Amino acid sequence: MKAARVLAVRGATLFGVLIVSLLLVIVVLGATGVSDRMIDSLVNEQVRGLRQSLAQTIRDPDQLERVVSEQRQQLISFYGLDRPWYTRLPDMVWRVFTLDLGSARTLKSFEGSTRVSDIVLERLPNTIILVTSALVISAVIGLYVGVKLATRVGSRLDRAMSYLSAVSYALPTWWVGILLILVLSFQVRLFPFGGIISAPAPQDPLARALDVIWHAALPVATLVVASVGGWAYAVRTMVLNTAQEDFVTAARAKGLPENVVMRRHIIRVAAPPILTNIVLGLAASLGGAILTETVFNWPGMGRLYFDAIMALDENVVVALTFMFTVLYVVSRFVLEVLYIMLDPRVRY
Amino acid sequence: MKELLSSGSGKIGAAFFIALVIISIGVIVAYPANFGLRYWSNPVLWADNPQVAPPSWTNLFSSEKHLETKVFESTGQAERLSEPGATRIVYRFNLNYAADEAPSFTSLTVQNVSYQDRPPIIAVTVQRPDGKSIGLYQLIVSGPRPGEQPPFRRYYDTPFRVQLSGEPNVASAVSDFLEQQFSLPISDQDLLVKGVDQAVFGVPDGDGGFKVLKGNYTIRVDTLLYNQSDSVGHLKYVVGGSVFGLLGTDTLGRDLSVGLLFGFPVALFIGLVTSVVTTFIGTVTGIVSGYMGGKTDTVIQRASDILANIPLLPILIFLAFIVGQNLFLIILILIAFGWPGLTILIRSMVLQIRSGNLVEATMTLGASKSRIMFRHIFPQTAPFVFATMIFSTPAAILAEASLSFLGLGDPSLPTWGQILESGFQNGGVYVGYWWWILPPGLLIVITAMTFVLLALALEPVVNPRLRRVQ
Repeated sequence: MKAARVLAVRGATLFGVLIVSLLLVIVVLGATGVSDRMIDSLVNEQVRGLRQSLAQTIRDPDQLERVVSEQRQQLISFYGLDRPWYTRLPDMVWRVFTLDLGSARTLKSFEGSTRVSDIVLERLPNTIILVTSALVISAVIGLYVGVKLATRVGSRLDRAMSYLSAVSYALPTWWVGILLILVLSFQVRLFPFGGIISAPAPQDPLARALDVIWHAALPVATLVVASVGGWAYAVRTMVLNTAQEDFVTAARAKGLPENVVMRRHIIRVAAPPILTNIVLGLAASLGGAILTETVFNWPGMGRLYFDAIMALDENVVVALTFMFTVLYVVSRFVLEVLYIMLDPRVRY
Repeated sequence: MKELLSSGSGKIGAAFFIALVIISIGVIVAYPANFGLRYWSNPVLWADNPQVAPPSWTNLFSSEKHLETKVFESTGQAERLSEPGATRIVYRFNLNYAADEAPSFTSLTVQNVSYQDRPPIIAVTVQRPDGKSIGLYQLIVSGPRPGEQPPFRRYYDTPFRVQLSGEPNVASAVSDFLEQQFSLPISDQDLLVKGVDQAVFGVPDGDGGFKVLKGNYTIRVDTLLYNQSDSVGHLKYVVGGSVFGLLGTDTLGRDLSVGLLFGFPVALFIGLVTSVVTTFIGTVTGIVSGYMGGKTDTVIQRASDILANIPLLPILIFLAFIVGQNLFLIILILIAFGWPGLTILIRSMVLQIRSGNLVEATMTLGASKSRIMFRHIFPQTAPFVFATMIFSTPAAILAEASLSFLGLGDPSLPTWGQILESGFQNGGVYVGYWWWILPPGLLIVITAMTFVLLALALEPVVNPRLRRVQ
């Protein structure tokens, strides 16, 4: 039952991460007075709705005004706008937690809703599609290339790849995206400049899917280029480290074929540290996704971030900061579970 | 150090690093202190440059020869002629016109005029290769205001700049010139729409348009002064081209090479300060945590576990957005979330070292805890710490660039990320302003690469297992 304990500890840490980020966000919002402004707009919005519904029943304008301002006072004290910001902390944590952040200032969802939760949540799938497909592709290429390299350490190919992976560490993801647009969209006109689907979207489901894939090709390629070098290099180093262990020599001495040694004795043992590397790179690839979406106008949460910054939409920025933290924490947890499955030392 | 220089990547990295440092020092010495706000973000200073012009060396690859911007200033030889009651100062600017296109604009700037009684007159005449000449423009410096005492000083604080291409008086002069010399009736308005410079630097092509007249032009600027003590401090005549300098210009006409050069010290500053401070905090907390154990260890480990796991970019975006765009704030955040990763690694190293013979021996000799930690444990981790410091430097540079690219850069300092961002914002990617987009990104990559190469060269030092293989 050690596995459960380990998992519980990791889960608690990740929950701590979530809470600390959330507190950080809210304390900063409160201390800078931004949270006052946000609640104020929330109150105004509700008062507006109230006035409309009351106007149906109360005919006398003076009385209407009185009732409305009474309601307004109630709302203000309900939301704690008349108290200092730190007394509202728990309330605010809950509000962010449930994405109950009122409406955005100018941004709208694709269906026209101005509610922050609608805007953010409808973009979540687009981001997940982009990041996971890039992750899977980089993982496959990285594992394959990394193992290949480890079997011929010091070869010219190995040296070239280690330089290439160094380059890919130094490459800003978004700049790669810009380069791809400049070359493949502007010069060669092979791929679209951005977006997720052509302007009159094709009706046929197959054509639709192909169109999305065509649009996703460059952003996914960007993310893969930015991370595949690191993957390959991490795999190579881990495999190499394991390959020098005595039990590998022993396995070889037993006369096992090289590919069996590689598969059963090296990769199996090197897998957990490789996974650790991926875990460490996860935050970076999420960050890369924010910028890649911006460059390619991909309608996910990253592009929304950029739009919200440009439109000075605080509610949306807060919601997105929270959402990205959640996304990170959740995927981290999935990787932790995987880790426990891969590493027998944790289980027994 | 020997290890570092023994490998190829180490040599290249070290050479690049030295180059970066030299350029940065040069920039710090040469650039004014408040370059960002006073110069870079001041559109007036860049008014005489062509806008979004590609670099001039693109001429080498294009069949059509583009015009390079020429700036003539009143610093050279002047002819002084005495006239009854006045002095005439004549500047002659020679322009060998070989481009296949008309100038994108021409402008005259007058600065620091002072006079006693009658306002000086400044006149611009263009003498063309076909022997004809056009009296383009005449400026009579504004007269005394009521109650003002001589000497009258004009254009001291803000220079007087006139865009000759858009000036109605110039259009009317050129219209007259075309009428007389080429019997071409064209109204001032039409001329302004077609472009005055097309006519000044060209001949009618018989199709209602103009074709460029190549050859030697002389632009003559006359200044008429009516008193011995009158003076015109500075005159500038600019023929605006469509290519510019080594790296071209942006939409404000800013010379991109100037801004990009300024990015060198800023990038190095961000990278080095962040990595040095981060490494310092990480090492100290790691050693303390690993050696002391107990509650101290638990507290430091929990804190760094949580901090190291917070996704940096969203928090960075959030803080820069809410608190404000300030370079030091950005560096502070990068440090605050950067140290815990190292703490965790150093701690695990210290745990191994602590159980070794050396520490045990020094402990028996009665060395104090801090002495053991920093005289005996630290040196064993030092190579690793040093390599980590180098390896983490590009991360800070890239993080700042990413933030700038999202429009959250420090507006008082131009950085490579910001230049790239403005290129992207202005649609540079979609219309192909490659000279605005490629160089800043390339510089970021080269700078980051420098540190990566150094770190790569240090890897065998840090990981002796690899040394065995190579």
